Amino acid sequence: MEQMYAYQCTKCGKLHHPRYVVCQNPDCDGREFEKLPLDGKCKLLTWTRVYNLPEGYMCPWLNFGIVEFENGVRVTGQIGFDDEIVTGMELDATIGVVREKSILYKETVTAPQYGFIFQKA
Amino acid sequence: MRNVGIVGVGHTKFGKSELPFIDMVCAAALEAMDDAGAKTGNKNVINQVFVGTMGAGMVSRISGIASAVVDTLNIRPAMAETIENGPASGASAIKLGYMAIASGMCDCVLVIGAEGMRAVSGWEGTDFVATMLHPESEYKYGLTLPAFAGLFTRLCMDQYGLESKDLSIVSVKNHANACKNPCAHIQAPVVLERITNKAYINATNPIVADPLRQYDMCPVSDGAAAVLLVAEDKKADLGFGDKKFVKIAGIGSATDTHVVANREVPSDLLAVRISAEMAYKMAGVGPDDIDVAELHDAFQILEIAESEEVGFFKRGEGHIAARNGETALTGKKPINTSGGLKAKGHPLGATGVSQVVELVRQLRGEAGERQIEGAKTGLAVNFGGFGNNVVSTVLTTK
Repeated sequence: MEQMYAYQCTKCGKLHHPRYVVCQNPDCDGREFEKLPLDGKCKLLTWTRVYNLPEGYMCPWLNFGIVEFENGVRVTGQIGFDDEIVTGMELDATIGVVREKSILYKETVTAPQYGFIFQKA
Repeated sequence: MRNVGIVGVGHTKFGKSELPFIDMVCAAALEAMDDAGAKTGNKNVINQVFVGTMGAGMVSRISGIASAVVDTLNIRPAMAETIENGPASGASAIKLGYMAIASGMCDCVLVIGAEGMRAVSGWEGTDFVATMLHPESEYKYGLTLPAFAGLFTRLCMDQYGLESKDLSIVSVKNHANACKNPCAHIQAPVVLERITNKAYINATNPIVADPLRQYDMCPVSDGAAAVLLVAEDKKADLGFGDKKFVKIAGIGSATDTHVVANREVPSDLLAVRISAEMAYKMAGVGPDDIDVAELHDAFQILEIAESEEVGFFKRGEGHIAARNGETALTGKKPINTSGGLKAKGHPLGATGVSQVVELVRQLRGEAGERQIEGAKTGLAVNFGGFGNNVVSTVLTTK
């Protein structure tokens, strides 16, 4: 299983997700980042259930959410359960396969991609 | 700076185009040229062509469309560039046309916006649009633009007490306006009761991206729209002396974070606010001076949120204005008289130009049954990405 990370600017300490090339702090110009594992406890800010999915998802719908970790980092990901999804609820950010295959110029690439899947805390 | 304005407009009927892509683009271009009286061949006065399109290369499999158009229209050796700024490609192309003339480099610029969305299947179209999202933190997850609209709508509902029915009210209004626009994709009235009654809502108006339903988002359309821009000081010399001149009074554009989750306030549309403020400032007007507006309602929530961000209504009160009919044709701030993206259709690259065509028709008094009496100043907001690149344009005949 792959790990997901927050990227900490080595100059000012600001945490980022996803990775950036230049620190997003307007008063900093750092370009070096330290990778810190990012998972676990987080809070659901908003969510949706989408019934019209891109090719490659063999399911009738998928739930997506934006969460905020205790360190203030916000990420978007899939929600791994269907019942009782409520804005503001506490979740556990796990890591799993979020896309089995992708299409690159008419060629199907089957390397699975890993990302956040939020589960009930 | 030189005054730049529009002397000709063209607009195909949005929907499923029966024409090959280049023919559709040229149909809009020729209509704008004929409207202005611009000639081809040895009599051509167009210095530059910009074609705004998001996916001509990717979806229609035609790259370098601007070069192809110049040749097809026989206006060589006019300069030609294809412009891509996602769903705001059209307004960006107009912005660049404005800059080309204002700088003195050109006197006459043809701007076309176009998209052929129906050439591919629904999922391919949705996937193509989703490639605008951040590849590692959004697109990878299977997220799409409707997904982000759903996430955004729930935030607005939680914060401002907006209800699903408010989105339907905007949708019904835009469908009614589209019935009065011969260029609109969908010309069928929608009855509020039919798409909101809890007894059968899941049949007539199913959920697509919770809490968004089918009538809360735009259809998939082909289409093209065109405008002919000229320098006011060269208008007579170029042969457009007797044409009505609709001045481009202000243009603003702004960007926001690519990753939606990283916005300081995820329920704000900061780039809309900044771009509109820029356009107002340049034009020397404010929100109260706008008689008619075309706002980018790819999702109905966006018309409501944008109507607040551009200063028509207080933050969190746009849906109340819609409920009260203030944004209808008969209201004090008519929005999307063309039918909006919701019912006129949203061929991505065409949309920004289409919005400006509608404003020109309104300001010339040529909008037929949907005419806003005495309209003199209009605002268009063209929204790219999920709000990470927005172009606002103010037109006036004052």
